[in-house]
Amino acid sequence: MSDNLKPLSVIAVIALIILAPAIRDALREEAATYVDDSESSHDGLPESWNDTQVFCVLFPDQTSHPKFTSGVTMIEQDGSTLGTNSEYNGTGACAGGFSGFENGLDLMDAAVNSSGTDLVYNLTEFSFGLQIDSIGGIEPCDATECSDSSGAYWALYHNGGTSLVGISDIILSEGDVLLWQIATW
Amino acid sequence: MYDFHNVALTPTQSLLLNICILSVIVFAVLRSERRLDDYNPIAMLGVLAIFGIAGRILLDPIPNFQPVTVIVLLAGIYYGAPRAVALAGIIALASNFAVLGHGPWTLFQVAGWGLVGFAGAFFADHLLKDGRLQLNRLAGLAIISAFAFDWVVSSSILLKTDVSMLAPYLLNGLLFDLYHAVGNLVFVAWLANPLGEIMLRHRVEPSSQSVSEVVTNR
Repeated sequence: MSDNLKPLSVIAVIALIILAPAIRDALREEAATYVDDSESSHDGLPESWNDTQVFCVLFPDQTSHPKFTSGVTMIEQDGSTLGTNSEYNGTGACAGGFSGFENGLDLMDAAVNSSGTDLVYNLTEFSFGLQIDSIGGIEPCDATECSDSSGAYWALYHNGGTSLVGISDIILSEGDVLLWQIATW
Repeated sequence: MYDFHNVALTPTQSLLLNICILSVIVFAVLRSERRLDDYNPIAMLGVLAIFGIAGRILLDPIPNFQPVTVIVLLAGIYYGAPRAVALAGIIALASNFAVLGHGPWTLFQVAGWGLVGFAGAFFADHLLKDGRLQLNRLAGLAIISAFAFDWVVSSSILLKTDVSMLAPYLLNGLLFDLYHAVGNLVFVAWLANPLGEIMLRHRVEPSSQSVSEVVTNR
């Protein structure tokens, strides 16, 4: 049997390469079942956005975004500003009123486009997936002092809970809310 | 003047370049090993650390495909748990600190690979018989070790979230666990025997330790 280990290992690699997309899709769908319903995540958002998909970015107090300096600015799909909620817990912007998006990154791209260049992001592609480096020009370490033993990152929340998968792996339902906020470690 | 350092490589080109560099390191290390005195396990652990650090950094473009788990497992089998744990710590700390990123997860990686080293030492009698590695058993333990290591490292999310998040988090990492398991199978199939032969030459036999006291004639 040990003589067969080399060909067996090659077969295992080939099988995994072939099956990986199907396994990834199955796991994405399983991850979607663990996401909380979207109802409470719409608190503080415009009523007209109920049951629509929303994308938010909250900036830390220590960094000043050139445009979003207080409260949370609500941006419609067409780029018009609906208003600012100064009682929302944070400072930043939300773009909402979207529907029909099934993938998190597609919703993010549509929302970023609707904001003009105010929420434009940079990312790095790693072997394990995408990492968001900056949103609206703000990098995580602008918000906190990063060192060898501590740091910060853009954390992703799906309907108020920490997302179990990356932005490009999120499967969306109608009414879902995605939110980026800087977290530290 | 042409700026050669400005040449941008695609991920595939970068991976091929890294595999070439790793091959050079493996070749050079194997050549240098021949000049080591027999029964020099500490020098051999240094060679294994170079293998592990270089392999982990250079194979980083392939998700969760790296030789460290199998190297630490073999170290546990041939040199015992304490040296395997030390090797795990050196590889994790050096590769994270130098390139991959150091943080709280490094401790969990050391714990995960340390556990793998302990498993190798614990099952050594079943995995090494008459100086020959039992490859099928080793492959089985290497596959189990992949999942065990990944789950130990994944438990680091408990520092930030509650325990209810752990099960779905582990479930979502299952594909990466499979990458690791299949990678371990590949390394056992192709590397375990040649590495094992070298490690055997530098294994301090228990019998030689028991003759360390000075014997006097009366």
